[in-house]
Amino acid sequence: MITVRSLVIALTILVLGPLSANAQDVVKIGQIEAQTGANAIYGWMSSQGTALAVDEINKGGGFKVGNKTYKIQLIALDTRGEPKEATVQLKRLVEVDGAKYIFGPFLSNVFLAVRPYAGEFNGKLLMWGGATRIHDYVGTPGHEFLMRTWNWDAGKNGFGELMVDNLVKTTGAKKIAMLFQNDQGGKVLEDIYVPMFKAKGIEYRLDYFEPGTKDFSAVLAKIAAWKPDFLFPSYADSYLYDIVRQATESGQLTKFFLVRGSLGPGLKNKDGIGEYMVYVPKYFEEAEKKDPKVAKFIKSYKDFYKRDFPYDQAPLCSASCYDHVYMLVEAMKKAGTVDDPAAVRKALMSMTYDGMWRIRFDEKGEAVFNFDVVRLKKGGALEVTHINPN
Amino acid sequence: MTGQALLWGGLYALPIFVRSDFLLTIFIFTFIYGILAVTFDLIFGFTGQLSMFHPAVFGVSAYMTHLLAVHYKLPFWAATVPSAAAAIVLAIIVGSICFKFRLKTFYFAVVTLAFAEMIRLGVMNWNSVTNGTLGLVVAGKPTIYWPGSGIVPVKGPIAWYYLTLVCLSLTVLVCARCLRSWMGRCFGAIRLNEDLARTLGINVFRYKLLSFAIGNALASFAGGLYGYYTGYIDPGYLGINQSMEVLAMVLLGGQGTLVGPIVGSLVLTGLPHAIDLRAEVRSILYGAILIFTILVMPRGIVGTLNAWRSRRGA
Amino acid sequence: MTQLVLGQALNGAIIGAMYGIIALGITLTFGITGIVNFALGEFMMIGAYATYALADRGGLPYPVAVVPACLIAAAAGYLSNKAFFRFTRNNLVNGLLVSIGLISIFESASMLLWTATPVEMHFVLPGALRLGDIGLPKMKLVVFAVIVAVIVATYFALARTWLGRASFAYAQNPEAAMLMGVHTPRLETAVMLYSTGLAGLGGALYASLYSLEPAMGGVYVLKGMEAAILGGIGSLMGSLWGGVILGVIEGVGSIFLPTAFRDAYGLAVLVAILLFRPSGLFGDE
Repeated sequence: MITVRSLVIALTILVLGPLSANAQDVVKIGQIEAQTGANAIYGWMSSQGTALAVDEINKGGGFKVGNKTYKIQLIALDTRGEPKEATVQLKRLVEVDGAKYIFGPFLSNVFLAVRPYAGEFNGKLLMWGGATRIHDYVGTPGHEFLMRTWNWDAGKNGFGELMVDNLVKTTGAKKIAMLFQNDQGGKVLEDIYVPMFKAKGIEYRLDYFEPGTKDFSAVLAKIAAWKPDFLFPSYADSYLYDIVRQATESGQLTKFFLVRGSLGPGLKNKDGIGEYMVYVPKYFEEAEKKDPKVAKFIKSYKDFYKRDFPYDQAPLCSASCYDHVYMLVEAMKKAGTVDDPAAVRKALMSMTYDGMWRIRFDEKGEAVFNFDVVRLKKGGALEVTHINPN
Repeated sequence: MTGQALLWGGLYALPIFVRSDFLLTIFIFTFIYGILAVTFDLIFGFTGQLSMFHPAVFGVSAYMTHLLAVHYKLPFWAATVPSAAAAIVLAIIVGSICFKFRLKTFYFAVVTLAFAEMIRLGVMNWNSVTNGTLGLVVAGKPTIYWPGSGIVPVKGPIAWYYLTLVCLSLTVLVCARCLRSWMGRCFGAIRLNEDLARTLGINVFRYKLLSFAIGNALASFAGGLYGYYTGYIDPGYLGINQSMEVLAMVLLGGQGTLVGPIVGSLVLTGLPHAIDLRAEVRSILYGAILIFTILVMPRGIVGTLNAWRSRRGA
Repeated sequence: MTQLVLGQALNGAIIGAMYGIIALGITLTFGITGIVNFALGEFMMIGAYATYALADRGGLPYPVAVVPACLIAAAAGYLSNKAFFRFTRNNLVNGLLVSIGLISIFESASMLLWTATPVEMHFVLPGALRLGDIGLPKMKLVVFAVIVAVIVATYFALARTWLGRASFAYAQNPEAAMLMGVHTPRLETAVMLYSTGLAGLGGALYASLYSLEPAMGGVYVLKGMEAAILGGIGSLMGSLWGGVILGVIEGVGSIFLPTAFRDAYGLAVLVAILLFRPSGLFGDE
């Protein structure tokens, strides 16, 4: 319903103009992610994790910077994946709510739409999200407000390089067929991996499908006729389940190499696959047993949300999520201020945070963190390799 | 009449009182979508043709305006002209096909939808020109002649507010002019009863095509403005959901009126930001509002108000 | 190459049958009651999730779970009709708008219940039939058989029974039908129940083949609409043929032309049909 509160706020704005939020004992964090809509899968886990972290911190009495204790107010807005919505929402967060710290976005089209506005507040804002296209701008002049909270496939810290090397070494793969959806994510994967394959002398082919496709028989049949060693499919679980299932059903494509997505599709089809090799920010099922921090997170999640823990989605909490709230608080303590995003950013860039992940940022402001490579064999046997670039 | 004066006066005077970027942005989007909604209403509310083709011209002109400006170093306004011309050409081609074959309302909607989708797929896959799904970043700004300062770029919420408001006003004026003329009467006749109009000697084909072409040509300006304002263009602009949004705006605001679509645009653009609810619940509410409007208030807000007033003998 | 084409033609036919069952729902609703139910995809979604809930979470064997799932979808259809659709009879645009509203409501409700994370049902009938190089999953064949059976049964039920003739009389002239003793509101309700139940069945079958997400209905209703128009609104067998033809065109087209344009092939054919034979391939002029 249109609350009286929101109407009063609107009227106050009309009369007084932008409010200067004097954050006395509250630090406002804004979040723009897609919580609903077709792309909710990318924003959902982030919104879950951040809310949990904020609640924990507040329940614990807040945090101290200098001689003041602060609590966090999280204003999480749902962009529905629409750039137009996000633009207005960011303006509201910055102007009306006075938030200086923005979590998100994960979606590249949203990021590209809000970037110019955020840029006007360069130096007075910190925005950190997982969007692929942030990579193009982070570290460039005029973008000191920006950081990217997901790791990058290529380059010396890149997990993609490592995985492809590993793949060639352990399996001798020479022909790889890529099957991506025709959107930002797919196109960026093309830009990263095609040169990589070329450089390593791997024969490749690239097929695109239209987002929304459910039946891949036609394109899978075409690919199977080419007889690849591995199929390198798209990045979203919503496609992977169907691609992996249909590929294994046909019996001709049984080896999979993935740099996004979860273990789920492989496990579901474990009797049909030959091999399933996937990069996972964290293999939560195993981590729960070995890492007390992860176990604590899972328990807190279940207590707070009163639902089953989404093991499949949890790896996406590696971007602008639970750990990052705590890391931000650490950075504020280190910088000695909550009001100066530039100083806080400097602190973030100079620290390594040990949460569920071991996170640090490279010289441009892009995250580097540890990850797992899981190799699933026919029948379900698992082999987990932990890689820590830090 | 006073209602109209109040509305436009209020809109032009608004930035004197409202300085918040956040609120002004809502109005800017309202105006840009308002152009789409008003021009859609010209074809739908006034001529009775349910066109699903608007997203196609919206998106194509967004791309064209930007690409022409960049590749041929044209100023914004110069680039909008060929885009409008392209919109007219597309409209004439699609319209001729549809109207020549005398497609009835429902099938007209389906065919225009089909064409719009085909154009969208083309735009999405023509990577060399449109950059496909990666989209294009628009760094340029429209420029206007400001007495005293010369040619200045349009920057900042207030400048954009007035720019888009003026464009909307001009759109409404052009449409109003058309509707008041003989053209408008033909549109109305076609909407009420196409066959009867034909027997009265009206060249139904020609007038339908005219309405379709004018509506799409004016809508193309919205594409250029939107691309420049948001700074980013991607194939999503040509998607079906744009059609749905515009249709909802017109129906909610009041079809067959020129102000109705603007009111509808304001409500649907601004409401999501006033209602502080869980995202899914908000979507449910949106759906409920739509259903409520169509079943209980079919003439839309403005239409119902007008009927109310005339019944009270105003 | 022929193997490839043949395989895709067969696969396309099966997918087309799924379009066909939605098309049948659309054609029945629009042809008999004059109501445009553009939200049929949502009833398909309801049927799919209901099947998943009953079969995977509830532990019922799949064939047993399908029946209540269809009933749930039909119940939702009944409520939608009673509350909204019956007021949009013969008013195309209103029906469209009500449908859009319902789509918003159902999709969001589904998001609340299930979240956007896709769910996949257990595999009911794994394994594929091999014909040379072609592999046809067994479950797909079952789905195809069921859909064809249902559509053919509907055809015979309507063409040969009193209820069927009454429906067509109602479609032609409701007042006259009423005078002849056809209980029209009940007929309308029956059509709604059946068409949404059909969509639910489509969803239940879909659940055995693909992963589910709240937005799944959108694509299908569009394809279903295309198939219905292709076959001819009002023609029952036409909806099956329309669906199959659409599916085959898309499948075979994807072999020779870029997969990226797959949706365009069906659209192009649709436009051609509407221009040159607007009553569809099997409809009456």
